[in-house]
Amino acid sequence: MKRIFKNIALYIGLLSTLVASSCKPEIEGFQTTSGEANFSKYIAVGNSLTAGFADGGLYLEGQQVAFPNLIAEQLRQVGGGDFRSPFFSENERNGSGYLQLKDLVNGQPVMENVTDNLAYREPGKLSKHAGDMENLGVPGMRLDLSTQGWFGGLNMYFERLLPDADVSTKTYIDFATERDHTFFSFWLGNNDVLGNAMNGAVTNPDDPTTVLTETATFEYVYREFITKLTENEQKGVVATIPDVTAIPFFTTVTRAALIAAVKAESGQDIQDIYIETGPGTPRAATDNDLFVLPFASAGLLGSMSADSPYPYGLYPDNPVESQYVLDSDEVTAIQARVKAFNNVIKQVAEEKRLALADAHAYLNRVKEPGIVYNGVVINASFITGNAFSLDGVHLTPMGNAIIANLFIDAINKQYRSRIPKVDASMYRGVKFP
Amino acid sequence: MQIKKLLLGLLLVSPTMLWAQGSQVNTQGQKAVGMAGAGSALFVDESSIFYSPGALVKMDHNAVSAGASAIMYRSAFREFNSNDVHHTKFKISPPFSVFATFGPQNSWWKAGLGVYTPFGGSVDWGDQWPGRYELNHLQMRAIYIQPTLSFKLTENFGIGGGFVYNVGLVDLSRSIPTASADGTPGRAELSGVGTGMGFNVGVHYNLEDDFAISLSYRSQVITKLKDGDAEFTVPPALAASFPNTTFDAELPLPSSFNIGLTFPASERVDIAADATFIGYSVYKELVFDYEDNTPALEDTRQEKKYENALSGKVGINYEACDRLDLRIGGGYVFTPVRGPYVSPETPDNSRMMGSIGFTYDINDRWDLTGAYVFQRILERTVTSANTGLTGTYKTNIHAPGISLTYKW
Repeated sequence: MKRIFKNIALYIGLLSTLVASSCKPEIEGFQTTSGEANFSKYIAVGNSLTAGFADGGLYLEGQQVAFPNLIAEQLRQVGGGDFRSPFFSENERNGSGYLQLKDLVNGQPVMENVTDNLAYREPGKLSKHAGDMENLGVPGMRLDLSTQGWFGGLNMYFERLLPDADVSTKTYIDFATERDHTFFSFWLGNNDVLGNAMNGAVTNPDDPTTVLTETATFEYVYREFITKLTENEQKGVVATIPDVTAIPFFTTVTRAALIAAVKAESGQDIQDIYIETGPGTPRAATDNDLFVLPFASAGLLGSMSADSPYPYGLYPDNPVESQYVLDSDEVTAIQARVKAFNNVIKQVAEEKRLALADAHAYLNRVKEPGIVYNGVVINASFITGNAFSLDGVHLTPMGNAIIANLFIDAINKQYRSRIPKVDASMYRGVKFP
Repeated sequence: MQIKKLLLGLLLVSPTMLWAQGSQVNTQGQKAVGMAGAGSALFVDESSIFYSPGALVKMDHNAVSAGASAIMYRSAFREFNSNDVHHTKFKISPPFSVFATFGPQNSWWKAGLGVYTPFGGSVDWGDQWPGRYELNHLQMRAIYIQPTLSFKLTENFGIGGGFVYNVGLVDLSRSIPTASADGTPGRAELSGVGTGMGFNVGVHYNLEDDFAISLSYRSQVITKLKDGDAEFTVPPALAASFPNTTFDAELPLPSSFNIGLTFPASERVDIAADATFIGYSVYKELVFDYEDNTPALEDTRQEKKYENALSGKVGINYEACDRLDLRIGGGYVFTPVRGPYVSPETPDNSRMMGSIGFTYDINDRWDLTGAYVFQRILERTVTSANTGLTGTYKTNIHAPGISLTYKW
């Protein structure tokens, strides 16, 4: 009897060992592969979105979570090499400065500028970045200006990346295509419409960044750029240009909200807001006219000035100026231009057998009906939608992560690679005070 | 002029809280655990209060027993198209059971009291995994208190029934997608105590020492939780949108109908088999009713759509010598949870079980019973209907347990 009892003790001992070793269940891993692509030197070509611009500025935290950086992190599992970015130093981490939420008063955001630890070497000029890099995103870069050497002298973000000798001479195309890359992402062209749209479709003759690029110019430069990027049969991914009505910059300040605000503020029972349309004739605004986000904080609506006896925006004789509103005709024209650009992009992608990340379709889906990502609602609402940062145009870290996944999906589909996806739920939306 | 109310209704995601059944790992009687849950017809002892109230009266003595298991519930999750496997933290949840019988020996009646934990579980995924906005941790326990009476209708036919009073404890947390100044998400924590009532009835019939059959039915127990505490950790600017408040919820614990058979295979070997039909379809949805609602904190209604489920268990009891019984068992449980409603609190799927156990009679008064059951919840790849979380779950459950009985 005693023996059996002893044996039981032994069995229990053996069993405990078994328990300890088999306690954690294992799940077979996901088989990664680079497929037909070679990710050993990935470069990211593009504008502010590629650079990680957010909250109205370029700063270190945004740079670190720029969607190409998130992609590059995933590419490490499929043979990706170093991916260097022109990060601001820790001392100059707030870069150009940026907006942050200071408070919410009755649901209304109060913002402030971050002004410490900036990276200006002199007013309008950022500290130079020395050394090579793979994230080549330049905030404000436009396709039409990517062929212009002088733009490097005008754009402080580009100037920062160029050796002094190249400033005002080197074009962005040359800057981007001389790096012996094996793979590229290319998301350029947004500013060829946005620069104009964000200015209420008003072209300022003194400011080349407010021009709406002609489709023919767009196609010519796009083809030239992609041809250079694929000179050695490199593979890559290109992305379409989002709809202007998909970003909170144009959809937050609505006519109804403005009227309600005037009523609440003044007690006046007003019916209409008057706007200056593109051709100059004032008319009452409709729900199809889009006010730009900065109009909310400009404090103009209903104000009196020496220029007019009428309160601003409430009478046809003192309408909201054209630069603050994309009227419905302008919206239609810009959407048509975006569509024409996207047709070019899709056609070139097909001809060159490049992966296509359809950001236009995707961001429209984020806007309506919105997506639920691992229990988080992501949509195009300002501040609460989790995708767009405080400038209403650029992405939050979480927005960058879902866009990175959009690119990864496109690459996987085109090149039969299996790049693991980014866990976007690990990235934040807008920071609250 | 300042434009106000532009952002009327700052709408964030309502924390739709989850509250699962927990995992049903039956550990009420260690003898049955040793046979993977079979044996309701075989074991006529104080644990019959739970397994077969009709058998209780057939005890020829009185006894009190106390037992506990150490349930180690280990889950893993791999998000679709990702290489990162996330594991739940190592947690031991200790279900316990106490049974006591009262009444004259060899009489036409016997009374008993059982206190046991038929549902419960503890999972902790932490706040650094892809489903963190669905769940960080959940601890749940239903404690049933069951006074029972059992009567002999004939020498071989016993009938019994008990009243069940349930005390349910729940404590859970999840992340809220509101980033604070340092970028970390907010957190919601809910805890509360609920109560419910039900009953347990059964009959037991045996042919001398040969063959026995047990039928029992445990009713559903609707556990109502009132005034649980809901606490939110969010950035100060959002504190008004997420007030610390109370909530009400209701959790239906399912009924079950069990049929058990046993017959001797030889002089020293008994075989027992049990089949259980579990009325999980009662769990259709989970509603959380917050005392204070704001645009960001609305009452939530989440679909569960459980289905009725079935389990089958078989065990062998071997009388090794006068004082020692050895047991082995195996079983299969069909999951009540449909794929889209699988959630991290109980990443359920059908499961296989294997067990071993023993009872050692220390002397005429004292018995020591030990058992060990291993359950493998089969790997399952799902997309959550509630959160969109897509990935593969796999779970191992280890439950060693021990109980001590005093007889007189």
